[in-house]
Amino acid sequence: MSNKKVHEDQKYIDGLVNNNSFIIQAIYDKFVPKVINYVKQNSGDEEYAQDVVQDTIITIYNQAIQKNLQLTCPFDAYFFLLCKRKWLNTLKKINNKEVTINEEVLSKDDDAAQFVFETSIFENKQNLFNQMFDQLGKACKDLLNATFKIKSMEEVAASLNVSYAYARKKKSLCIGQLTKMVQESPTFNQLNY
Amino acid sequence: MEEQDYILFEDYLSGNLDENATNAFETRLETDKAFKKSFSIYKDISAHLDHEIGNEEKTMDFRANLDSISHNYFSKLNAQQEEVNVKKSSGFYKFAIAASVVLLLGFFVFNQFSGDPSYSDFANYDQISLTVRGDNDALLKEAETAFNTKNYEEAELLFNQILEEDSGNTEIQLYKSITLIETNQFSEADELLKAISEGNSIYKNKAMWYLALSKLKQDNLEACKNILKNISEDAEDYEQAQNLLNKLD
Repeated sequence: MSNKKVHEDQKYIDGLVNNNSFIIQAIYDKFVPKVINYVKQNSGDEEYAQDVVQDTIITIYNQAIQKNLQLTCPFDAYFFLLCKRKWLNTLKKINNKEVTINEEVLSKDDDAAQFVFETSIFENKQNLFNQMFDQLGKACKDLLNATFKIKSMEEVAASLNVSYAYARKKKSLCIGQLTKMVQESPTFNQLNY
Repeated sequence: MEEQDYILFEDYLSGNLDENATNAFETRLETDKAFKKSFSIYKDISAHLDHEIGNEEKTMDFRANLDSISHNYFSKLNAQQEEVNVKKSSGFYKFAIAASVVLLLGFFVFNQFSGDPSYSDFANYDQISLTVRGDNDALLKEAETAFNTKNYEEAELLFNQILEEDSGNTEIQLYKSITLIETNQFSEADELLKAISEGNSIYKNKAMWYLALSKLKQDNLEACKNILKNISEDAEDYEQAQNLLNKLD
């Protein structure tokens, strides 16, 4: 999608990345009423809608920062479809039964559907990565926490009282271990690698 | 993948391979599918951790801001709906609803004393007065008005302008920190308040109290309590601090 023109609604994505209160407020004023209606018409209430909206915005924020999300479709369609998907998945969990997602809207071959698909995959990855990180041994966790917080490997090595070479090697092996755990997980095939 | 492969991934990502090794690596990516797959996962995890851990504070600020906007939006929505309901119904129902509103109000007032304390219960900022009689500084006057009318975004901009000329003005720094808390720019607010509270000005105790309020607004109750415990007995806000501390315990 890189050859397509970025949509003017990219301002909403940029606003989220910059934690711009005016933009966040505008998203609520303009796009959230539709989500509330949808959730209410489909066995939910305002409280559920509030959670769905908040979770969706956080996912978009994370993806925008990590993957430099560039929207080529209107924010409205993208945001609504994401919220809708999330609500139907929540319903599935609450009722513990299959809910068929109305694919008629999702499978339309347009940009919005494509973006929604990518964001859903992104979210699945995030969840699995977090889950696997929790299962990692303490030594690896400490080292990775230090590495990504401090950034300079020399300082990390000093703070953990190990040699620079060891810290570097250990970092690759810990992420390597995570890579392996992710690949062996039963939900790996949902990640579209 | 072998250990060597993961070490290679890391070297490639951090730009530590020379030209030959880089070329060899890229050729292998094109020809070895399993290698390529593992590398994509490795790269994604690396980016994920870089964001989750490296941007932790920034993300927390974002979540707190989002939380407060969302909370405001939905409570306004509820209030509007209640108003519509009251208008729609008549006679007895009006009376019944009015009675239940009174009951509810009573419940909320009661709750103020028994439930979890919230930032707004304690954040009662006094009116500030920056200009002395006869003093004609328009900028100070403007900042004072913006702050006193709770126009915090505007006030922050004006305080920044004042601080440009007079960067060591602790009083203005303190007021600026309040505008930062009010607009949910917590990391900046906390940094500023910490600096003031560690200094020697007459505002150090106030700064500590506001820092506690900032933590309260961020829902970081442990940090809030720790700060409250360190507010000294001779501080103006000592009683309030003890009051809040009791409610948090």
